[in-house]
Amino acid sequence: MRKGKNNRLVLLGIALVSMVVLLCLTSFIYLPHDPNNMNTIDRLHRPSGEYFLGTDQFGRDILSRIMISTRYALLVGLVSVAVGASIGVVIGSIGGIAKGVLQSVIMRVIDGFMAFPGMLLALMLVAVTGKGLWNAVLAIAIFMIPTYARLAYSLVIDQKNELYIKAAKSYGATPWRIIVKHILPSMLPKLITQFSSSIGGAILLESSLSFLGLGVQPPNASLGLMLSESRQFTLSYPYLAIPSGIVLVIAILGFNLIGDALNDTTVGRRKSV
Amino acid sequence: MKKLLNALSVLMMVAILAACGSNNGAASAPAPTNNTAAGGPEAEVKAPVKTELKMALTVDPDGLDPHRTTAASTFQITNNLYDTLVKVSSDGEFVPGLAEEWKVSEDGLTIAFKLREGVKFHNGREMTAEDVKFSFERLKGEESPRAGDFSNIVSITAVDNYNIEFATKALDVALVSQFAYPWTAIVPEEAVEQLRNNPVGTGPFKLEQWVPQQQIVLTRNNDYFTPAKLEKVGFIMMPDATSQITALQSGELDIINVSGDAVPQFESNSEYSIIETQANAVQVMAMNLDNEALSDARVRQAINYAVDKQALIDTVWWGYGQEIGSHYPPMLKEYLDTNDAITYDPEKAKQLLEEAGYAQGLTLEMYLPSSYPNYVAAGQVIADQLKKVGLTINIHTVEWGFWLSDVYTGRKYDLTVTGHTGRLDPYALLARYHSESKENYMNYKNERVDEILTQVQQERDEQQRLKLYQELQQILAEDVPALYIQSPIGLTVTAANVAGYQSYPIDIYEMKDVYFTN
Amino acid sequence: MVKYTINRLVSGVVVLFVISLITFFVLTVIPGDAALLSLGTDATPERLEALRESMGLNQPWYERYFSWLTHFLAGDWGNSLFFGEDVLTLIMQRLMITVSLAVLSLLLAIPVAAIIGIFSALYQDKWIDRLARTVMQLGDAIPQFWLALIFLVFFSGKLGWFPVPGFIPVEEGWWRSLHSLLLPSIVVAIGLIGYLIRIIRSSMLSALEQDFMLMTRVNGLSPAQAVFKYALRSAVIAPVTTILMQLAGLLAGTVLVESIFALPGVGRLLLVAVEQRDIILLQGTVMFITGVVVCVNFLADILYRVINPMIQFGGERNA
Repeated sequence: MRKGKNNRLVLLGIALVSMVVLLCLTSFIYLPHDPNNMNTIDRLHRPSGEYFLGTDQFGRDILSRIMISTRYALLVGLVSVAVGASIGVVIGSIGGIAKGVLQSVIMRVIDGFMAFPGMLLALMLVAVTGKGLWNAVLAIAIFMIPTYARLAYSLVIDQKNELYIKAAKSYGATPWRIIVKHILPSMLPKLITQFSSSIGGAILLESSLSFLGLGVQPPNASLGLMLSESRQFTLSYPYLAIPSGIVLVIAILGFNLIGDALNDTTVGRRKSV
Repeated sequence: MKKLLNALSVLMMVAILAACGSNNGAASAPAPTNNTAAGGPEAEVKAPVKTELKMALTVDPDGLDPHRTTAASTFQITNNLYDTLVKVSSDGEFVPGLAEEWKVSEDGLTIAFKLREGVKFHNGREMTAEDVKFSFERLKGEESPRAGDFSNIVSITAVDNYNIEFATKALDVALVSQFAYPWTAIVPEEAVEQLRNNPVGTGPFKLEQWVPQQQIVLTRNNDYFTPAKLEKVGFIMMPDATSQITALQSGELDIINVSGDAVPQFESNSEYSIIETQANAVQVMAMNLDNEALSDARVRQAINYAVDKQALIDTVWWGYGQEIGSHYPPMLKEYLDTNDAITYDPEKAKQLLEEAGYAQGLTLEMYLPSSYPNYVAAGQVIADQLKKVGLTINIHTVEWGFWLSDVYTGRKYDLTVTGHTGRLDPYALLARYHSESKENYMNYKNERVDEILTQVQQERDEQQRLKLYQELQQILAEDVPALYIQSPIGLTVTAANVAGYQSYPIDIYEMKDVYFTN
Repeated sequence: MVKYTINRLVSGVVVLFVISLITFFVLTVIPGDAALLSLGTDATPERLEALRESMGLNQPWYERYFSWLTHFLAGDWGNSLFFGEDVLTLIMQRLMITVSLAVLSLLLAIPVAAIIGIFSALYQDKWIDRLARTVMQLGDAIPQFWLALIFLVFFSGKLGWFPVPGFIPVEEGWWRSLHSLLLPSIVVAIGLIGYLIRIIRSSMLSALEQDFMLMTRVNGLSPAQAVFKYALRSAVIAPVTTILMQLAGLLAGTVLVESIFALPGVGRLLLVAVEQRDIILLQGTVMFITGVVVCVNFLADILYRVINPMIQFGGERNA
């Protein structure tokens, strides 16, 4: 019963993510129009046979731009989380096995980053890394580090006193060996779960940054940038703002659902009354 | 914690109170005029002609002290609070302000003003020549960002209470214009410490209230020599264009500035009037001649041939803009039509690029200031058109702070789209093309241009000056250190009952002559 | 307990210190400074130099940081380079709006979340549970700025139910002022509901599982009585602390909503401070916000421990 429910959610999540992935893959084979080509005569064209979702204020085809945008969304989501998670796990693990001053310093810095208001942290990171796709990836990756460092830290601390670790220690294994051989594998399920939910968060963050003009640079298309460019015209041309927003929701929702379902399965904390 | 709880309980009370007695506060209940004020609120039954006007602002002023900022957003408002010696009419003539008349000496080095008598500051004290002297000394002082503009004034002599003379070091042929800018406002010495937030001037309005990022309310100065017709002016901060339009439509605002895309909504509607005004400004895509390719005039010309300016203006400004061929706005009398020097011809562009050795293309970095959405849009359209002749443009949208430091001051860019606002003296607009100018961010160098710019400053004959300025325009139109796009057309929409709103060659919102017709 | 409290207090202060250092450093290394922004395209090198000198921007960043820190510790928040006013005054002016926005959205979100959360825990896998899950997921997945945009176009623009963006000060009438905050609050509330349901639901579930619930049944209470007399009471701790933390987090969590709805709140102040490179203003605002967040977290921790001494710490928090 419970299993079935989870499965259904995973399936829904996978279905949603697949839709986005499909849009992305299709964009490599076929695009209805050149996404960056300006056709100013046809600008602000309402949805029609030729322009399935209409055109924007420069006469660019919205459907094609959305398809291209999914590439960036997925790329940013996957790469930034992968990078952020790896670095975070390393830092957190060091924090976990280190002692004394080093541990305090690492953890206080992590705490500092975590107490930062999220949006402000993102803004400041972008201010340092600069704008553009890869800089946004970098900023989001850094943004993800504290979460993973915290997670890794608490997992290491939890495991440290487990019997088998003590046993490993007693026959003289180095701390690194213990981490890589014993603790890391036991962390994996939790990390994977967190990973999947983080991707949704990273996509959301990228779109927010692009909305503020700090992410993907024009004339390239990003879902957030499209929304921000259309902002001036949304009152008269609402169709400009709706499709890109919906694709964004689908992408985030898909990854969140998968993450949640994984969380329920791996942690297994939800018991029936 | 306690504060939060307090806030919480207050909010709940509000909700309850609101549910009990809903007060449908009319958008703009007419304020009782002086005559009816004694009658109490009930006396409002006969609605008199509206005397309270609200206008939208997009940016908060950078303080209301005209001597301590360079922000246009400040000067748009301060001319209502302060006066200058000379004013400028909407067609660009110099007319009396606090000075009734003025006289320039034979050699052109001194100017004498006769002040209007009996003018009072908002604090009740009479304004005299000493205040004028003090104000200009303050403007020339350490902390004044405009000090450099006035360094040519070497002595200020208050002859008596109502006569004052300014002596200059070098000949400035447009000397009188220096006394008409809104930053030359006359201020009382006793109030300067607080001027930024509590302005005291001689102007037609006084400050009643300023809530930063919300609103600025001015009330009429009844002692003014030609009193304003409105009792109250509210400048309402509304950064978003859509909100401004909705607020005008619902009657919450009376005047807004719009962009071209909003015009159709008001065009055929008798409830509104649209005022189109030519701005004293040019918008350009500057090129950095430090770039090897761009130092070649053929490449710059190719870029000019490759861009369809009319299509660009139609797309970005919805057609509201006047095509220009050089760095000069058509509204000024020295203007020379140079639009024919280079016309849209992509084939010619390709040919020129080939001649210059860039047949296989060229990659350029374009920096666009993100706080100006129109420049970002224009940059994109230009990049798209340049792509069609084989140029690759990488766009970077940058914050204003970055643009100022790295692009404008640091001159690290290939292409950038920006605007230049003209002054009352044509020299100020063109001076940046002098090879020695610190504002020459295009790194432009042309001997004849340097010569003209030096010569024109010494030329007292107006006809000769006109000829020099026109020659300069022609050189720029052919040598094209920039892609000269357009001189913008300002669009102001007012409720139909608003009359007397005019625009000026300097960027000010003058409210003194505005009134409601019913 | 005392030792724990002191430890937490010290680490809170250290965290604030780290944050102030990071903020200051970041704003120093990014291009552009307050003097340049103030002068704009009219800047001449001499003027710029003079203004930098008078703003104190010519000293090395660590000296400026130290001078800021000593003043700050003495209770002087400094004057904003951009507004020229006392930073604390500026924050206080805007705090009311952001707090009202945060409180109003919580007032909207809590009842809805409580009802859905409690019932979905009681009736697991029934329609209400499914509804709860849907709301939870959608609330998490819809970007706030998009929702704000759509709501603005639809409810404010097309239907005219709400006034145009912008804050109407309370002096112009309580109702109008509240009305001007309502639509942005709804947007923020929708973002909060999912998270709140999650917390309420899970804490209700764990309360229902506890041994004393079994006891109540043994003692012959009806399930409804058991729920209302005992389960709810013990289920309330986690959500209350969460709500407090949310409230603190919202101080800076409404940046995008504030800027779309043109509300002059603390979030907008942050944006202005970064854009204008107003380092003093940014330091003050960041210290204020993170100070509140750290304090609330600290209080929540202590509260938790006082109420429930059995709880082991080391726990997770929401970012």
